[in-house]
Amino acid sequence: MHQKLSFYVDRDSFLHHLNPLTKLTLVLTLVILSFLGLSYWLPTIIFLFIIIPLSFLGKVAQEFFNATVKLLLPVVGFLFVMQAFFHPDGTQVIFSIWIFDVTVESLSFAYLTASRILTMVASFLILLLTTHPSDLMSDLTRRGVSGNLSYVITSTLQIIPQMQVKAGTIIDAQQSRGLETTGNVFNRVKAVVPLVGPLVFGSLVEVEERAIAIEARAFTAPLKKTSLREIPDRAAERAARWIFIGVIIIAIGLRIWLL
Amino acid sequence: MALVELSSVTYTYPTTDKPALKDINLKVEQGEFLAIVGSNEAGKSTLCYTISGFIPHFFHGDLVGEVQVAGLNLEESKLNEWVLNVGLVFQNPFNQISGSKFTVFEEIAFGLENLGVKRSEMIERVERAMELTGISDLADRSPYSLSGGQQQKVALTSILVMEPQVFVLDEPTSQLDPIGAREVFEVIKEMSRAGITVIMAEHKIEWVAEFADRVIAMHDGQIIIEGSPQEVLTSPLLPEHGIGTSRYTQAAKQARTEGLFSETTPLPVTLDQAVAGFSGGNHED
Amino acid sequence: MKIEINNLHFTYPGEIIALSGINLSIESGEKVAIVGQNGSGKTTLVKHFNGLLLPTNGTIRIGDWDTKDHSVAELASRVGYVFQNPDEQLFNSDVKSELGFGPRNLGYDDDRTEELVEDAIELTGLDNYRDTNPYDLSPTWRKMVALGSIIALDSPIVVFDEPTTGQDAQSVEVIARIADELHSRGKTLITISHDIDFCAENFERIIAMSEGEILLDGSVLEVIAQEESLATTFVDPPQLTRLGKELGFDQTVNDQASFLGAYRLSHEQN
Repeated sequence: MHQKLSFYVDRDSFLHHLNPLTKLTLVLTLVILSFLGLSYWLPTIIFLFIIIPLSFLGKVAQEFFNATVKLLLPVVGFLFVMQAFFHPDGTQVIFSIWIFDVTVESLSFAYLTASRILTMVASFLILLLTTHPSDLMSDLTRRGVSGNLSYVITSTLQIIPQMQVKAGTIIDAQQSRGLETTGNVFNRVKAVVPLVGPLVFGSLVEVEERAIAIEARAFTAPLKKTSLREIPDRAAERAARWIFIGVIIIAIGLRIWLL
Repeated sequence: MALVELSSVTYTYPTTDKPALKDINLKVEQGEFLAIVGSNEAGKSTLCYTISGFIPHFFHGDLVGEVQVAGLNLEESKLNEWVLNVGLVFQNPFNQISGSKFTVFEEIAFGLENLGVKRSEMIERVERAMELTGISDLADRSPYSLSGGQQQKVALTSILVMEPQVFVLDEPTSQLDPIGAREVFEVIKEMSRAGITVIMAEHKIEWVAEFADRVIAMHDGQIIIEGSPQEVLTSPLLPEHGIGTSRYTQAAKQARTEGLFSETTPLPVTLDQAVAGFSGGNHED
Repeated sequence: MKIEINNLHFTYPGEIIALSGINLSIESGEKVAIVGQNGSGKTTLVKHFNGLLLPTNGTIRIGDWDTKDHSVAELASRVGYVFQNPDEQLFNSDVKSELGFGPRNLGYDDDRTEELVEDAIELTGLDNYRDTNPYDLSPTWRKMVALGSIIALDSPIVVFDEPTTGQDAQSVEVIARIADELHSRGKTLITISHDIDFCAENFERIIAMSEGEILLDGSVLEVIAQEESLATTFVDPPQLTRLGKELGFDQTVNDQASFLGAYRLSHEQN
């Protein structure tokens, strides 16, 4: 059974050819700018005039909009509603439901929060859509991030769909022994131990065997690792990264000065 | 000097008092194909883990006696040095996927990345190994999307590419369907033909008879008989210790008690031997 | 209890057709082996027997129940399904509670549960391990625990998914003996297996599947004689069957007794 293991979409675009670290720096810059609170509309402007154009530049606009609509809008919408109703301050009541007042202040705060979250997740989405996870990890390892850490991250990415398949088999096996897992809440709660027990034990066996397998592949050899994947890094990109970092420093400086 | 040599090896896992290996003495020569047969719990896997260094370095426990491969002593070596000489492939193909790679080609290159092999040499070696095992067409597939048999061939290739001196295989086909098992066997045969030393635990007796140069049978942590495939696989010691024998051997033995199978014809293990043996009996009348 | 399958079609999500038009009936007390290469549809078919999968089209009835109208848990009282990998179901801290899990789910009282558990312990030879944690047992014994936990359901139909995979000669013999005992109690036994020798020696009827359809269906001897048809689904005839054929026997043989019988006969003719 083939399952999609990451967000990555294999296309030939300017963004795809950028060094992963350049993209990561750009994303961090956008996120920091959105959260610093320099301007109320800044997250919205970043989303509309930087992130959306980037999705076209990376030739992943369709996937980007799909993921945004399916994944993000419900979450952002939920946040918006929560903030709009439950923000404590505010005097200019627009309308009330039961004991909750929606005020101009709460509404504007809700919009700000939602637009920030949207901008943050959308920037990372662009990174993940245009960057092969192996490239990101190889590049970070090359720059001194621990090999163990990047192994844990890439293997976790892959293990989630496998766990789902396994959980499915375990549920089938327990139902076949007469366990009701659907229907009322009581049934569902009762089904937790028979599901989680084998899942945890199975994972322990799997972790031990996998540890043997990667050890057999010289994972802990005391040598400097090399990488099969070639990751480009041009002088212009290094310059761009310094510019991003400059922007971040200036923005933080402005924020402190404006306070 | 033998490539692999175990002298008076006794081993006990940390959680038990009963030794899993008892006084094992074994020599394997360069280029030899040694098969290990025995029932479950006889100590086959433990022996495989010992030769490949995971005992004692990964499982700990108490190892007495000496294990040497290519002149190196196991207890004085580190596991991450030992694995460069001895490659290990075990039963479950799925758990041998590194888990961090997205294509078969990257998966096979993983060991070479860890060894710091230059990129150009890496590509060349991966391609050559894939050609030998016949999986070049899987290069761009996700390791997770493969059948069990294909995954096991990837596991074999991933070790082969590191060019160990000895290949230890612990029942590499026991979790596979017949087609997958047959394909994996063909790959192992190919590797053996290429001169690689192979030590393989296996319960498919007919295949052992077909491939192995020498066979040892284990029971309760001990080697109970050692010799040529024919000699070991038809020995009455096997059924006495609950070790399965070929259906051809069983039928010929029964026929012999009824005077239907010649006392002088060796007991058959494979189909070809059985055809020859049983038609021989026929002509005697 | 009869299994009746009418024009069964099954398509996996993503339009992958797994079964196309299966018609099949299995009578009470039959011993049926289903063979075929991976992807032939044999696992998909048996997963319909206890409702793990429901037909896209057509019907399957277990006795007077249409599987569509009952949950998998309810169907467990009629069809016990022994999964291949015991590690994907064991979770109790001792063998006895593991075996009692099924009967308790089916709502049996303590006395009946106790009785069923003891019977399963005896059949599987787990006598010395009743208070042991299943995970302290070897894989071979864990398989026996999984098998026992289905036997304890006392269902009239028992399905075995690849019972011999990873088992040594001794445990294969034990499994064959358990199958015999369940059969003598009048239960219907169904196995899916790659181990054609095991099927030929221990079952009465063989169904060979290929590409989602039934290719051959008949008595063991009828089916294993069809070397060419079997080859299309990548199943080799049993070893002694092949030997008999090579030796030019007139009749098809399926086990040691029938092989030696035929050999004696050809010997006398010479």
